[in-house]
Amino acid sequence: MGASLLDAILAETLDPAYAQAAEARRAREAGGAAAPRRWQGRTLVALTMALAGLLVAVAYSQAAASAKGREQVRAALIADIDRETGISDGLSAQLQKLRTTVSDTRDTLLATTTVGQQALDSLAAAEQGAAAVPVTGPGLLVTLANADPKGAADPVGGTAEPDARGQVQDGDLQLVVNALWAAGAEAISINGERLGPTTAIRFAGQAVLVDFRPVANPYQVSAIGNQESLSRRFLASPDVGSLAVISQSFGLRFEFAKENKLTLPAASTLDLRSAQPLSASGSPSTGSAGASTTPAPHSPPGG
Amino acid sequence: MIPILGLAVGVLLGLFLHPTVPLGLQPYLPIAVVAALDAVFGGFRARLDRIFDAKVFVISFVSNVVVAGLIVFLGDQLGVGAQLSTAVVVVLGIRIFGNAAAIRRHVFRA
Repeated sequence: MGASLLDAILAETLDPAYAQAAEARRAREAGGAAAPRRWQGRTLVALTMALAGLLVAVAYSQAAASAKGREQVRAALIADIDRETGISDGLSAQLQKLRTTVSDTRDTLLATTTVGQQALDSLAAAEQGAAAVPVTGPGLLVTLANADPKGAADPVGGTAEPDARGQVQDGDLQLVVNALWAAGAEAISINGERLGPTTAIRFAGQAVLVDFRPVANPYQVSAIGNQESLSRRFLASPDVGSLAVISQSFGLRFEFAKENKLTLPAASTLDLRSAQPLSASGSPSTGSAGASTTPAPHSPPGG
Repeated sequence: MIPILGLAVGVLLGLFLHPTVPLGLQPYLPIAVVAALDAVFGGFRARLDRIFDAKVFVISFVSNVVVAGLIVFLGDQLGVGAQLSTAVVVVLGIRIFGNAAAIRRHVFRA
């Protein structure tokens, strides 16, 4: 028998009571005592084994049931999300259609008079600035992506937290976007979410939100503008230099490429923030309707 | 033969009757199963060693299950439930391995 606890555990795998009982039985038989009732023992053993089987089966079905329950809840939640997303998509498509009807009607009405034509021109410029219309053109495509998880994750119960420093943060995207604006970009979108004058890039939990919509890794920032000057001034920006150093040391992917044709969608809903009543003469006051570009904080999306 | 039949009957009963375990006992079920397995392997090995004793088997089974459950319960009350259940699983696991090796030596003579 080993002295240490571990040795004792390793050496003594069988309950010593069995040896003692055998010893006692041999002593009894040698002493000529009557053999113990065997039927009782067998029944007890069979019952105990049945109990063991019951325990195993119950534990198994319990584990299976809870896994199945989790699965069901998860599936129900996913179905809910899909349904609500579908409704939301339908509503925004309807909104888009109505918006087009409204602007078409407005354009036809305004185009009939000279004053209206002037208003239309300034409106078009304002819409361009407010990212209310889709644009297409040459530009830069900047890609930012999280670092690859290091090595293989622990296969047994491994839910290893990814290193936060290897994740793209909202600040990194803000930095890239600001550098692009400073380099003379005319329009920017992140993963197909167009940036308007009031669009926020924020962080919520693990997800980066652009205009309150989650965008996922890898992040593709498309910027439309003069390719040559855009890339030159983007690369010359000190912020971009420091971001490149950071991404190199933490394994982030940070690339950019010149694209000859980028298509950026319109930004989401523009809220009417300021309006003036028509003057008595009946001429519409310029720049009041439609897109207001006052840099006010973005109000929560209200349907 | 009879013990094997008993085991099969128990498994079938558990699978088809779906007995409900009280919520408070559910966390101790896996530990109880490991303890029961230890007792069953020990009994099987003792039988191959020809020193099997019904009384010892039944008592070791019941006490194994109860003590393992109690240790984990105590650990839960003290806030070290996870560590203590790891300890129980490690110790019982080593014993199950040892007994399985002894059974293997008996059965295959190797």
